[in-house]
Amino acid sequence: MAPRLSAASLTIAALLIGAPVLADDAGLGKDLKATIALQGMPCNEIATTKQNGDSDYSATCKDGNRYHIFVNAQGRVIVQKL
Amino acid sequence: MRRMVVAGFLVVLSVSGCSAMKASDAGSEPASRTGAVAPASAPQSPPESPPPPAAPPSAPPAAIATPAVTAPNTPAVGTAPSSSPAKTKPTLVARPPAPAGTAPAAVVQSKPQASAAPAAVPATSPSPQSLPSLNLHDLEQRLRDTRAIGVFAKLSLKNQVDDLLSAFREMYRVPNRRPPADLRQRYDLLMLKVLSLLQDSDPPLASAIASSREAIWSILADPDKFSKI
Repeated sequence: MAPRLSAASLTIAALLIGAPVLADDAGLGKDLKATIALQGMPCNEIATTKQNGDSDYSATCKDGNRYHIFVNAQGRVIVQKL
Repeated sequence: MRRMVVAGFLVVLSVSGCSAMKASDAGSEPASRTGAVAPASAPQSPPESPPPPAAPPSAPPAAIATPAVTAPNTPAVGTAPSSSPAKTKPTLVARPPAPAGTAPAAVVQSKPQASAAPAAVPATSPSPQSLPSLNLHDLEQRLRDTRAIGVFAKLSLKNQVDDLLSAFREMYRVPNRRPPADLRQRYDLLMLKVLSLLQDSDPPLASAIASSREAIWSILADPDKFSKI
């Protein structure tokens, strides 16, 4: 009985933890997409993101465009096309 | 077999719970916030053609070109919505233009006046001479607090607002200057960017900012008002 309960608990815990993480990823993708658009660069939809550091991301759009998005030392958001 | 059924049931239960959490999170918006715009009286209607009854008929063309008179009343942008993440602290209360032709329709005040805003625009008489009241501080705070714009996008917008304000400061170093058309274009573009980010996820804030566009521009286009922000 105990192993059965623990397996179920683990399943539920994994799902409950995983859902906010996925939501955060969606929010990050939306934020990065808006940031790219604000700089006047094309990106139809974010496909993947990778965090390079604090406030430093690489994003790949579904249309194939890749960008490096980061905040420089002066506090400006920089979007570089890769 | 029974174990599998129980596990499957738990999985379905937890997945449905997660989807419910996500749906409620996506719909959360600061609906309780009050709009910066005074109630319902013609929120999107800056005066398109305020009659200048007391304008001196013998004014030379140079006097017509003064920014304080012409800038807030430019009719070309009266219909499209716009906004700006205003960084200014003073409260702007819109009032009907004074009889004198040089007086602008909005007055910048150094201290917030909560009681003056409802009285400035009566809800039942949508006069074409009345502008909606604008609380720049409130709009700024709402922009900071909204979840419709992410952190990167907010910082990027702030950079662009700072750039625009720097351009205005640079321009006003020379006396008797009025904003050129390209600054107005930059302002409009920035407004559209903000609105496009807000209109789906935070419509009340988008509406408040859109209705405040001309009032904000009237501050930017007036060197005296601009120097106070």
